[in-house]
Amino acid sequence: MHGRVTGLMGTALRGLAGLALGAAGAMVEVVFLVLAALGCAYAFVFSRGRDTVPRVVAGGALRLAEAERRRLDALLGGSGDVGGYGPLRALAYLVLRLPVAFLGGVLILLLVYGAGAAVTLFGGWMMGRAPDGIEPTPWLIAYVVGAGLVLLYLDLQGLVGVAALERRLVRRCLGPSPLQAYERRIAQLSESRAEVVDAVNDERRRIERDLHDGVQQRLVGLAMLIGRARRSGDPERSAELMRQAHEESQRALEDLREVAWRVYPAALDSDGLRAALETVAERSVVPVTIAYGPDRRLPSPVETVAYFVVCEAVTNAAKHSGAGRVNVRILERGTMLVVRIEDDGAGGADPAGGGLAGLARRVAALDGRLRVHSPTGGPTVVSAELPCG
Amino acid sequence: MRVTLAEDSILLREGLVRLLAEEGHEVVAAVGDGDALLVSVAADPPDVAVVDVRMPPTHTDEGLRAALEIRRRWPGVAVLVLSQYVEKRYATELITADEGGVGYLLKDRVGQVDEFLDALERVGSGGAAFDPEVVRQLLARSSRADPLGRLTPRERDVLGHMAQGHTNASIAAHLHVSQSAVEKHVNAIFDKLGLMGAAGFSRRVLAVLRYLDS
Repeated sequence: MHGRVTGLMGTALRGLAGLALGAAGAMVEVVFLVLAALGCAYAFVFSRGRDTVPRVVAGGALRLAEAERRRLDALLGGSGDVGGYGPLRALAYLVLRLPVAFLGGVLILLLVYGAGAAVTLFGGWMMGRAPDGIEPTPWLIAYVVGAGLVLLYLDLQGLVGVAALERRLVRRCLGPSPLQAYERRIAQLSESRAEVVDAVNDERRRIERDLHDGVQQRLVGLAMLIGRARRSGDPERSAELMRQAHEESQRALEDLREVAWRVYPAALDSDGLRAALETVAERSVVPVTIAYGPDRRLPSPVETVAYFVVCEAVTNAAKHSGAGRVNVRILERGTMLVVRIEDDGAGGADPAGGGLAGLARRVAALDGRLRVHSPTGGPTVVSAELPCG
Repeated sequence: MRVTLAEDSILLREGLVRLLAEEGHEVVAAVGDGDALLVSVAADPPDVAVVDVRMPPTHTDEGLRAALEIRRRWPGVAVLVLSQYVEKRYATELITADEGGVGYLLKDRVGQVDEFLDALERVGSGGAAFDPEVVRQLLARSSRADPLGRLTPRERDVLGHMAQGHTNASIAAHLHVSQSAVEKHVNAIFDKLGLMGAAGFSRRVLAVLRYLDS
């Protein structure tokens, strides 16, 4: 509770500072806009500096707009997805934000004035004086306090409104136009589609390697044992080789089961993510604890990707990090499924490494996000957020 | 024979070492990658090097490159290559290199112990050994070929064995006919492929080439 209050205070103070800076910035921008207009008019009429003046104006506008955007990001809760705007949009933004910024300035001045008036009045009463001839009768005190609080509330509401206006304005003027947003989305989709194809091919290569390096070698070894048994003239030796061959055939079957499981765990479809993850925990050499939140079956694509994220992270922890424990947490947060795997290993996992890069692609294909935080010395945290509305 | 093994799967390597020892061959060295193979051949050249194509670090064609290197630097060392797949380009290169002491088997053939040992013997004694499957695939590519259409099934059989590197004597043994019968077939093949007057060339190799290129 205490933390929340200080958080709120911090937000309020940052907001005030942001609006004050915005108002101060507006002064600078007024000067800039006037000078820019004069400069352009001069260049147009006298045909001098026709190249230089617009370039300087454009550069200045972009720099100022960028400064405002940074202020919003730092102090007023973010400007959202903004970027890739040109000088014309920057100029338009600077012009449009003037009234909003001045409104913010006026509201801050009112706040300061109100605070000053309150201090003067109550300070005077404390000293036993009557400022402006106002006597501190109970009725009057109640009236001043009530009116003061109402005015304070209105002023603060106004400030909140101005902050919201600032945010909307920057998004409207500097954010992507609908067309740009579509283009970006299409570019992102093309990229993630190509990456998914790559990821699938990588997996197929891995499966091929699994089959060749594991199962096939075992089967060739098995055939060799049987061949040797047949060539051996000594019945006892033959019997021994056949016994070994029999064991080898069991191992070949185990290998085959392993590979099939790695290709796609059948349990995922029949029993769901939770059961499949429990199997991962059972099969892992490192102890794995699983905290599983969702109490419903999730969409199949989400379950599959979540499963592979956990699988890969657990395998990496066991193989590379020397971890002694792995904690897996799966929970629904709003419309997102959050998958978080933490191990107490040595860290230093490379997000660009084969397995993790493949995972990032799979997650991106669902419009999710994968984060890998693995400082040297650990702990490693792999977390994925997957939309599953 | 003295044999050096290069195979990255420990399981198979051990199996091969035991098998060769049981058959009375001496395993000079057993290594797991191409570089170690070259080092070991340089230190103590064997009669035959048995080389797996796919080995660390990249698992592509290290073994094959090491094998070609061995043929270049130590012509006295025979090479028997074990491949996961039929890699036509390399197989053709090896088959048409007119020299003995080279073999190309599919890895699975190792499980056919008799055939593997037979191939090892042939390669080690300066002959050639090519996997029947390799030959089948290479021939399948040229089965539309005109001159081959004129061969009888028996002659095709003989040519197939020829392409695997068998001598007339061993073709006779395989097909259960007399050696003179095989010689007759071989002459008929040379005749039909128009190789009778090709002096100065190995007609056997030319016959196989005719197969592959036609």
